[in-house]
Amino acid sequence: MLTIAIAKGRLQGEALALLARAGVRASEMALTTRRLAIEDESGEYRFVFVKPADVPVYVEHGIADCGVVGRDVLLESEPDLLLPLELGIGRVRLVVAAQNENLPGDAGILRVATKFPRVAAAHFAAKGIPVEMIQLSGSVELAPQLGLADCIVDLVETGRTLSENGLTIVEEIAESTGRLVVNRASYQLKAAAIARLIDALSEAVKAVKSETQTKQ
Amino acid sequence: MTNPLPANNRQRVFCFMSDHLSKIPNGMRYYTGAAASLRRAVEDCAMSVFDGWSFEEVIMPTVDYFALFERGMGAEAHRAFRFTDSDGSLLALRPDITSSVARAAATLLADRPRPLRLSYAAPVYRQSQKSQTEWRRESTQLGCELIGARSDLADLEMLAIAAEVLQRLGLEESYCITINNVEVFNGIAERLELNEAARARMRALIDTRDGVELQRFMDAYDTTAEERKVFSRLTRLSGKREIIDLARGVITNPRSVAALDALETVWLGIESLGLSKTFEIDLGDLAALDYYTGLVFKIYVDGLGARVGRGGRYDHLTENFGRAEPAIGFVLDLDGLTEVLVRSGRSRLDEHVSRYSVIKGPGSEDIFREAAKRRAAGERIRIELQSSDQD
Repeated sequence: MLTIAIAKGRLQGEALALLARAGVRASEMALTTRRLAIEDESGEYRFVFVKPADVPVYVEHGIADCGVVGRDVLLESEPDLLLPLELGIGRVRLVVAAQNENLPGDAGILRVATKFPRVAAAHFAAKGIPVEMIQLSGSVELAPQLGLADCIVDLVETGRTLSENGLTIVEEIAESTGRLVVNRASYQLKAAAIARLIDALSEAVKAVKSETQTKQ
Repeated sequence: MTNPLPANNRQRVFCFMSDHLSKIPNGMRYYTGAAASLRRAVEDCAMSVFDGWSFEEVIMPTVDYFALFERGMGAEAHRAFRFTDSDGSLLALRPDITSSVARAAATLLADRPRPLRLSYAAPVYRQSQKSQTEWRRESTQLGCELIGARSDLADLEMLAIAAEVLQRLGLEESYCITINNVEVFNGIAERLELNEAARARMRALIDTRDGVELQRFMDAYDTTAEERKVFSRLTRLSGKREIIDLARGVITNPRSVAALDALETVWLGIESLGLSKTFEIDLGDLAALDYYTGLVFKIYVDGLGARVGRGGRYDHLTENFGRAEPAIGFVLDLDGLTEVLVRSGRSRLDEHVSRYSVIKGPGSEDIFREAAKRRAAGERIRIELQSSDQD
């Protein structure tokens, strides 16, 4: 049996829909319960639902053989995992946003509020801008308004939350979509089952892609 | 005027002290009871297999010059605990044994006839961890090195020894050893004329099995669509001998072809030993590329999310110490193996632990005469002493 860790929240619905398309289906009844570990209809797979940042943890330890999680989480935690497939779901951008289109240039140090301190630090380090990192766990958009920070590094889907809080995008750091991640040992020890899952998912991804293209 | 510490404050100071004394540093652990004796049994088992293949046990210094490890391991050496000697030179708690062994082979053991067969069971220390699963900062490596022989037979000898250890540990049903030859990749990188950065990028894409990105990456180079497709599939699949045939269909540069031939020779050896069930060819295994020069292998065991061993050919390492000669070696992770066996509860290695005879008596030397007699007969005994808790 393969255990698949799925990031709760933003990605969960799309991830389950894509898996169902690939023939890995959890029953409606099981999904409506509040259980955090459920089996699919065939009994070949088990889903566990965990916080996005915990998906790489479960998979790296091999407690889950694979997982579905956004690239943003992987960029921040840099886990030692295999990344065989981009799933094209949950597309968001990781951006720098501030109250002006330009960052204050000569402040000596830039105050950055973010949930992604590693990504943000690497981004500004590459540009040679010294920063004071202010790590928050939510409502990051508030920080510049209240004077806690000069800018933020955060995820943007539509940009509405940003504009409603008086922020504009200064630059894009990376794009993030859902990824299939696989444990290194499981990849070898359960090679056949994992190859089946990757093939089925990659067919499903292709099918979704061609559908959206014909719609356009 | 003195201000004596109030009683409750003294209490607090004491608590702080005892808290500090009771904790152990991150990445360190205790072994006690069954786990400790099982760990000892695993170590003994591996060392007796190494001895059975005439590998001579060597003991290397725990503290050595940092420069040694920098030469031996490259950037990886920076994970070591470092400190200075009284003359100011930089020392390290060894993060690796192979570097010391390679230096000893080129210096102390330079006049010994080749090949050298050396083995060790020794802890290594790493201050910074590479990943979540690698939380240990002290881990014990069971390893052997075969220095001064280049043949496919030397490669096969290493694989046979690794397989024997795993079989003797009762893991014959649950281990998997993947093999690859890094020259397959080196040949491709050479043909595509990749610069250092592009080579690192391609290596990372293959290592993480990112087939889609890999195809996109190869688009930018002089490759055919067929090559891109098959190559991205090859890095995703592991398998038996058919992998080599599949690779030969698209990889034609002489350097890679020679590597595929060498890999096939090793594979035929594995088949003839009847081990093909537990071995896989995995062309996507490209870890530690700058260290290894030919055959590489990784060892996985069911029940552990990380590998329990790795090895390969490192024909350029001893050259760092003044004597270039071919070499191959591998290490097993004693702590990982112990963890698998403890968790599975399958092991019979430590059965003797629960067997002993109790010797008691009216506190006199008779007890010890009896004890000496039974010990001479090889029995496991336990003297019954009164517990200090009952004082």
